[in-house]
Amino acid sequence: MSTQDRVKINKLPTGVPGLDEIVGGGLPEFSFNIIAGAPGSGKTTLAHQFVFANATPERPALYFTVLGESAIKMLRYQQQYTFFDPAKLPDSIRFINLSQIVLEKDLGAVLGEITKEVEKANPAVVVVDSFRTMVRKPQSDMELQSFIQRLALSLASWQATTFLIGEYAEDELRDNPIFTVADGLFWLRQTAERNSIVRKLQIIKLRGQDSVPGLHTFRITDAGVQAFSRTFGLTARKRNPPRDRRLSFGIPELDKMLDGGVREGDSVLIAGSSGTGKSVLATQFIAEGVRLGELGIVAVFEERPEAYAERATSLGLDLETPQKEGKLTILYLRPLDLSVDETMQSILDAVQKIGAKRLVIDSLAGFEMALSPGFRADFRESLYRMIFALTGIGVTILSTVEVDESFTEFPFSTYSISFLTDDIIRLRYVSIDGQLRKIMVVIKMRGGNHAKDIREYEITSKGVIILGKRLTEYQGLISGIPVNSGRSEQKKEPSDHPQIKA
Amino acid sequence: MTTFPKMRDLAHRLLAYEVTAGKTSEPAESATLRVYDKLRQDIGAFAGVAAFESLAFRALTQAKSEAPDLWAVQVAADGSLRGLGEFEPNSNIEKNEAGEEQAGEGGVILIARLLGLLLLFLGEALTLSLLRVKWPDAAFDDSNSENGRKA
Repeated sequence: MSTQDRVKINKLPTGVPGLDEIVGGGLPEFSFNIIAGAPGSGKTTLAHQFVFANATPERPALYFTVLGESAIKMLRYQQQYTFFDPAKLPDSIRFINLSQIVLEKDLGAVLGEITKEVEKANPAVVVVDSFRTMVRKPQSDMELQSFIQRLALSLASWQATTFLIGEYAEDELRDNPIFTVADGLFWLRQTAERNSIVRKLQIIKLRGQDSVPGLHTFRITDAGVQAFSRTFGLTARKRNPPRDRRLSFGIPELDKMLDGGVREGDSVLIAGSSGTGKSVLATQFIAEGVRLGELGIVAVFEERPEAYAERATSLGLDLETPQKEGKLTILYLRPLDLSVDETMQSILDAVQKIGAKRLVIDSLAGFEMALSPGFRADFRESLYRMIFALTGIGVTILSTVEVDESFTEFPFSTYSISFLTDDIIRLRYVSIDGQLRKIMVVIKMRGGNHAKDIREYEITSKGVIILGKRLTEYQGLISGIPVNSGRSEQKKEPSDHPQIKA
Repeated sequence: MTTFPKMRDLAHRLLAYEVTAGKTSEPAESATLRVYDKLRQDIGAFAGVAAFESLAFRALTQAKSEAPDLWAVQVAADGSLRGLGEFEPNSNIEKNEAGEEQAGEGGVILIARLLGLLLLFLGEALTLSLLRVKWPDAAFDDSNSENGRKA
C-alpha cells in the first residue's frame, strides 16, 4: 500500500507544553485514551489542558464527572491555571454530572446517558472523570469489557477523542480490559525523594504514533502540566553533518595546542581545581565567539550574571554589550527544586531562542548542586542526552568541572563524565622552585591531533596567557611535585604540537 | 459578605425577568421558584443533584436568618424547594407602585444567597457563564435591577 492510500490520522495538540513531542507530534484524533495515576498526580489538569486546547463551539468538549471530586470544586481550582478560559464555558466546554445515574442505575444506563449527550452535542472531545468510580460497582469481567468496548466504539463513531481518567495502581496494568481496549495509556507517577517530589510521565502505549519511550519529567505550575521530553524536543531536528570548522578560544597558543581550535559541535571539558582559571577560559571562549559573530549562552550556577559579567570586564572582556544586543545570554539557574530535565530545557530554550553556537556550563558541580536531591541520580544520564542533542545540531559546549587537587593522582573529573566529552583540557597546580604555578595539558581531543605539550600559564588582566614552550626541564609534572631533570629546557626539545594548517 | 449587595441586585434582575416572562407562560408559579428551578437544573446537570442540594441548603439556612417568612421552606433530597408556595401561596409575590408583580423579600434573599455561593466557589466569570445558559442577556439588563427600577 502506498503512503497516499493510507488513512491519514490527524494529530491534535495536547495543550501541554512538551507533550506533543513526547506523543509523536500530537494526540491521534478519535483515539480512546486512559490517563492513569495516583491522586494528585495531575490527571484532571492534563485532561483540562487537552479540552481547552481543542474545544470549539462547533465541536465542543463534554466533560462527564462522576463520583469523586465535586465539579464545583474542580472548576474552582482549575480556573486558577492560566490555560483556563472561562469564556469557553459553556458553549465550547460543557460539564455534565453522571453521579445520580451511576449510583442508581447500571452501566447500560450510564452508556445510554453518555450516548444521548454525545448525540446532542457532537463533541470533538469527551472526558470521563473519574472513570474508575464509574466501574467500581460489582460486575462481571464480561460486563465491564462489553461496556468499555461499546463506549469506545460509540465515541469513536461520533468522531470524538476520548479520555477516561482513573486512579490505578501499577499492578492493575495486567489483565485489565480497560487497558486492552484503550488506544493510548498515559501513566502519571509522583514519588517523594528526600524533600522533593519527583513527577514522571510515561506513555505506556499509543497506537499509531511514534511516541518517545521512557519516563519523562513533568511539573505542575500555574500554567498547568508541563512535560519535559527525554529527548528535549530535538528528535525531529535534522542532525547537522559533521563540520571541520575550528572555534577559537581567542588564545592563540591554546588554539595551536588544539590543532587550530575546538572542533565545531564538540563537547569540551575543562577540569581543574579551584582557582586554576576554568571560568576564565570559559569566559574567553564565549567572548571570542561573540566577537566572531557566534552567539553564546552561559549557564552559571555559582554566581549571578552581573558578577560573571563584571569578572569578564576585569579581564578586558565586554559581556554587557552583547547581552544588550541579544548576542549573549547569561542564565542564572539555581532551581533547587527543579528536575535536571527542566533545567536543561531552560538552557535549550535559551540556545534555540537566539540561535546560539557556543554554550558554556559553568560549572557542572554547581549544576548538580542546584538540582533537588531526588533528581541528582538522573544527572549524568540527562547531561548525556542534552550534550548529545545539542552537539548534534552543531552547538559547541564547554563545561567546567572542579576536581580535587591530588598530588598522587591526575583525575579528569570527579563526576565520571569524561566519557561525555570530545575534548578535555586539564588545568592544575604544580610546585616548582618554591612557587605554586599552573600547568595546562590537552588530555583528549576526539578525532583531532592535539598537542601533547604540558604548558605553563598565568592568569593576568588579559586572561589566560600561556608562557613559553613545553616544560622539558621537569619530570613528573602531572604529579604536581615535579623533579628538575637538569635538562636545559626548550632549546633541546622541539615542541611536538602539530603544524597549524593555513 | 461584601458581595451580597451585588448578588441581591442580580437576584432582583433575574426575578424581575421571570415575573415578566411568567405572565404568559406559568402565571401560577412564583418567580422565585422559576429562578430557583432553572438554577437547580443547570447546576444539577454539571455538578450533580447532591452538589446542588448542598448549596441550596446552605443558601436557605443563610436566607432564613434574614427573612423569617422562609421559616417553613425546605430543600428536598432532589434539590427542589418545598414549602415556599404551599405555605403561603402569595407570600413571595408583591406588587410595586405601578401594580406590577415582583418577588418578595424572602425570595430575593434566597436567590441572592444561592448566587453568592456560586460566586464564592466559581468566581464571577463562570457564574455568569452558567446563568447565561438559562437567561438571555436581557435578563441581566440594568433596567431589571433594583437600582435600574429606582432610577
